[in-house]
Amino acid sequence: MRTTLKSWPLLAAAVLCVGMGSPASADGDVKCNAGPQEKWQKISKLKKQVWLEEWKLLKMQVQGDCYEVYAHTKQGQSVEAFFHPVTLEKLVVFRRGQEIFRAKGFKG
Amino acid sequence: MHWPRAVLWLLLAFPAMLMVERYLSGEALALELYHPTGEWSLRLMIAALLPGPLIDTFGSNRLLRGWLSIRRNLGVAAFLYALLHLVFYVLDMRLISAMVEEMAIPAIWTGWLAFAALLVPAAISTDRAMRSLGSRWKRLQRLVYPAFILAIGHWLLIGWDWLPALVHLAPLFAVWLLRLIAVRRSNPVKEQTRPCAPH
Repeated sequence: MRTTLKSWPLLAAAVLCVGMGSPASADGDVKCNAGPQEKWQKISKLKKQVWLEEWKLLKMQVQGDCYEVYAHTKQGQSVEAFFHPVTLEKLVVFRRGQEIFRAKGFKG
Repeated sequence: MHWPRAVLWLLLAFPAMLMVERYLSGEALALELYHPTGEWSLRLMIAALLPGPLIDTFGSNRLLRGWLSIRRNLGVAAFLYALLHLVFYVLDMRLISAMVEEMAIPAIWTGWLAFAALLVPAAISTDRAMRSLGSRWKRLQRLVYPAFILAIGHWLLIGWDWLPALVHLAPLFAVWLLRLIAVRRSNPVKEQTRPCAPH
């Protein structure tokens, strides 16, 4: 028991250290600065953006002031993408907690 | 199986039945069931890990003895929820090649490792395995500790949502701290001499 109890904090530290190497932004924290909701485009319009990416759409939803899309890429990768609700620009894409795309100049 | 145990398993299986029903009826996607299955697995691990330190701290009573007596069931249920989590993952990913390809991502391999660590205690959860493994049984059951930590790591790396992960760590840290204090209080002399390594 002693070995296990002594080694698990080490393991915890190792897991967290590995994690620290990845970008540490929570998906729920993405801010799109989209302004008032009346000016947003319909979320269904995102379907075209997703089609242009050649992704398979799984789910669309409003997350904070962003549109969030869950999809599979052509290669079968699972992605979570955030789009601007007014311009429908692709702002940031995560793959299993790792940021794999960020629009130029986007800091949200 | 005694009927109280059957009732316990019915209770433990109820959330899973709801989740499977939501998936089959098309109400929820497989990816939407990652979170509830993972959370149930973690919470059941916590439920299995709490009674031991609580008894060490407060002494035995009827409630804690009852809790301890269902601990193995809670652990097996934690494994089964992890298995369901994995089933929804396979249903979401569809392609083995896609699953293999993302295995190098920290958020994914921590999950696989947590599952592997939990597989061992679950596989030896029977009375027969308990008897035949003797003292090794208890040692192998302690794999639930790394499984738990890896599962918390997996959760953190997937969503970077610190608060809920810390909330799940809190009760275990609290009881471990309580046990440490209780052990030091009841055994001050022994505790003082213990850190001294042979000179």
